[in-house]
Amino acid sequence: MSSSGWAKAWPALPALVLLFAFFLYPLLRMLSFSVETGNLDWYAKALGEGLYLQVFWNTFQIALIVTGVCLLLGYPLGFLIATTTPGWATLGFIFVLLPLWTSVLVRTYAWMVLLGRNGVFNRLLLDAGIVSDPLPLLHNFTGVLIGMVHVLLPYMVLPVYGAVRRVDPAIVAAAAGLGASNVRIFWRIYLPLTLNGIFAGSVIVFVLSLGFFITPALLGGGRVMMIAVLIEQEVRQTLNWPFAAALSAVLLAFTFAVYALAQRFTRVEAQP
Amino acid sequence: MAAPSADLRIEGVSKRFGEVLALDGVALDITSGELLTILGPSGSGKTTLLKVVAGFEKADSGSVRIDGAEVTALPPARRDIGMVFQNYALFPHLTVAGNVAFPLEMRNIGRAEIDRRVSEALALVELAGYDRRLPKQLSGGQQQRVALARAIVFKPRLLLLDEPFGALDRKLRETMQLEVRRLQRRLGLTTIFITHDQEEALVLSDRIAVMNKGTIQQVAGTTEIYERPANDFVADFVGESNIFHGTMTAPGVVNLEGGRRLSVNSTTQPGARVGVLMRPERFGGGTNSFAGEVKEAVYLGASFKLRLACDDGLELIVRQSARGALPIPGTRVSVGIDPESIHVF
Amino acid sequence: MNIRNLRRREAISLLGGAAAIGVSGNAFAQAELPKPAQIVVNHSGGSMGTAMRKAFFAGFEKKYGIRVVETSPADFGKLRAMVDSGNVEWDVTEIGGQDAIRATKMGLVEKIDDKIVDRSKYPENVRTPFVFASSVYTTIIGYRTDVFKGGTQPKSWADWWDVKKFPGARSMRNHPVDNLEFALIADGVPMDKLYSVDFDRAFKKLDQIKPHVNVWWTTGQQPAQLLLDKEVVLATGWNGRFYDIIKKGAPVEIEWNQGALKQGSFVIPKGAKNVYWANKMLAEMSVPQQQAIYATELGYPGLNLESLNFVDAKVKPYLPTQYIDKQFWIDDSWWAENGNKALELWNAWMLKKA
Repeated sequence: MSSSGWAKAWPALPALVLLFAFFLYPLLRMLSFSVETGNLDWYAKALGEGLYLQVFWNTFQIALIVTGVCLLLGYPLGFLIATTTPGWATLGFIFVLLPLWTSVLVRTYAWMVLLGRNGVFNRLLLDAGIVSDPLPLLHNFTGVLIGMVHVLLPYMVLPVYGAVRRVDPAIVAAAAGLGASNVRIFWRIYLPLTLNGIFAGSVIVFVLSLGFFITPALLGGGRVMMIAVLIEQEVRQTLNWPFAAALSAVLLAFTFAVYALAQRFTRVEAQP
Repeated sequence: MAAPSADLRIEGVSKRFGEVLALDGVALDITSGELLTILGPSGSGKTTLLKVVAGFEKADSGSVRIDGAEVTALPPARRDIGMVFQNYALFPHLTVAGNVAFPLEMRNIGRAEIDRRVSEALALVELAGYDRRLPKQLSGGQQQRVALARAIVFKPRLLLLDEPFGALDRKLRETMQLEVRRLQRRLGLTTIFITHDQEEALVLSDRIAVMNKGTIQQVAGTTEIYERPANDFVADFVGESNIFHGTMTAPGVVNLEGGRRLSVNSTTQPGARVGVLMRPERFGGGTNSFAGEVKEAVYLGASFKLRLACDDGLELIVRQSARGALPIPGTRVSVGIDPESIHVF
Repeated sequence: MNIRNLRRREAISLLGGAAAIGVSGNAFAQAELPKPAQIVVNHSGGSMGTAMRKAFFAGFEKKYGIRVVETSPADFGKLRAMVDSGNVEWDVTEIGGQDAIRATKMGLVEKIDDKIVDRSKYPENVRTPFVFASSVYTTIIGYRTDVFKGGTQPKSWADWWDVKKFPGARSMRNHPVDNLEFALIADGVPMDKLYSVDFDRAFKKLDQIKPHVNVWWTTGQQPAQLLLDKEVVLATGWNGRFYDIIKKGAPVEIEWNQGALKQGSFVIPKGAKNVYWANKMLAEMSVPQQQAIYATELGYPGLNLESLNFVDAKVKPYLPTQYIDKQFWIDDSWWAENGNKALELWNAWMLKKA
């Protein structure tokens, strides 16, 4: 950086110092635990033992499915909020954002009340005669999926909303004037022009999913094991911090890889 | 390539946005193959009228017919109208060829036919060889040509252009105007062109509809609009003008407010209140003479533009061929104008 | 890192000592050290906090005029991080039984001052120098009384495993502790021969019950809630949590036979800011009358043997100390040694497709 570059950069210094002190340093400190022994034994364990590989794989699959479901639900929602009248948009925003202000634990317990065998939802279905036995919605993968999607949906809706709002209305009018039906306007105009929003939302949701912890433990009935649960055990129960650090480092590397991949993908998309 | 093009009839179209009456009972007929310009200042309702024709706005009342068929309730996609927007509105994620092919794909035309017509249209706007480029890799003029190609490639029944050259510099604008004119003639395409630039309107149009405050002030051929405007607004908006008001006192004689008497070539009945228009470039020698003092003089290359304070109290704008020295303010001059050059309305 | 932090720790305790000496010199006339505005007690939270406030904190605040600030949850990792970094926020903290043993070995805790904390009425074996045994709890069977009427509930771990005779959805803790022991008992191992745990035998037995366990619970509140919601009809859980809903009239009862006894423990973190007042707090927690209040609230009796004299007769049937003969003590030192290995095996076993 040239000297004038430094001059321009100095207002960012406090932020950089904060970032280093409260983010980068602790991160590096944590990573250094994992090689404290002077070798890579903990990494060998993290990547070599079936248990951890299996849980990493589970975590990846769950994150992928959650991202997919969030996309299927969040895209139409973000699209609607972006294209409806201001009154409805405000209402939509309230519904999307309100959960963000509630603790994850509270929301998770709320789902337990709703989804249980004798929960509100099953009782409604039973009373209405739609099912004869309660649906297994809780203490399994379905429960985890519902809980995680609920928590993460706003992170999909907001980037999609932003992307749809950035589409020039004149372009949409032009497409209509050139003979495109609403369906075709969506597939040919909106969808390609909002890919950035889709990727941004998907990356955020996917990355956040990887670190999920409370929701799978409570709504999964113990059957759904994600890597964050194991890391938490290593930190708080077994106190094996070097191994916890190695697991975290693997998760971090994996997250970065996903992020880099998505970045490349979006860049390619922007210039067909 | 001249395909039979449609005629358009607009009847009693009104549109209100809250407190503002954007269109007030607009009626307009456009004949097949004609290029009609809607000319008016911003806020006159011309773009709203175009949107009603294209189907982007629903009129509160009135009807739009293309070739006699009612289209008022049809969505834009089913009106078969080509439209060029102010900011081009090209699809940024599609190539030039992709943009031009778009309306054809929407009509489910076969790939080979699409390719043929796309290259034909691109050749027509002189953009052959640009088909792989993205819009952002083109200049403003090139983008507008793509927009034009996209609007005509599917042989629409009507072509609408909404101030398409507003963003271009003067020279490019003039080139594009001539090109649109040439293209429109060649295709015989019924065209509505929206502009607030009266020169552009004069260059392009078969006929001009002048709009103000949601109503059409006058629809006529270009000479008619210039030479014989229907009212003050048209006279003032189109070209430079000296406008006065007075009363016909005898056949061929107008008494202006302030007392000045003019000989005119008009059959208007004596006693009628009239407006009088004298174009600045029509002054020279003539039976109606004005003497006065130069208040201001501007050199315009081909001509001088003078502001005269006449002895009879009138103030005139006069154009003279730029010959000799530019008169300095304070110089006394006298000019005249023929009765035939004075328009009475 | 360890050396550096050790030095820092020593420096801090030296400073603290110096300050204490200086201060005690000044306050010679007074028997007690000057009072801080507040001390911090860290515990599991929830209803436990409410009961501790009623039984211990309220009296402490009144007696000494020192505010008791509560934080939660009990967190071994955080304890270690605090002591390692020399920034110890807690004066007293709750700690799991096996963690207490490990914390002692790792030098993370202060020695309890027996001149301040009177444990003379405690059973000999729980008067350990670094760990204060606060109460007794047990992991036992909670069951729905509307499903298992008139004493038809499972009365042993063999019964628990017998899904034909005792059908219904079950819930167990998602953790090896207790469960390995239960499996061995169900498989015929006598309660006094459980240790050292035979992992193979335990997990093989657990394989049999796995398909019948609907929910592997994570938080202590879950089993009681699961019974209340009738998500399951049988749940293992901590006696206090069942006691709480039974008090409130839930159709739930406790089968005490073969329960896994444990002691609740509190420690003073190494380098705590108010070690003296932390000891004073532990002293308050060892008063029998106060322990009786706590036991009545939560169903967790204190280890001061006199405390039972102050408990209402109606409450006594819900205290695990009444059933010690039918139960077994979890071997904390075995778990401190083998807990990590057990947890890893447990996770792998949970992951296994049933």
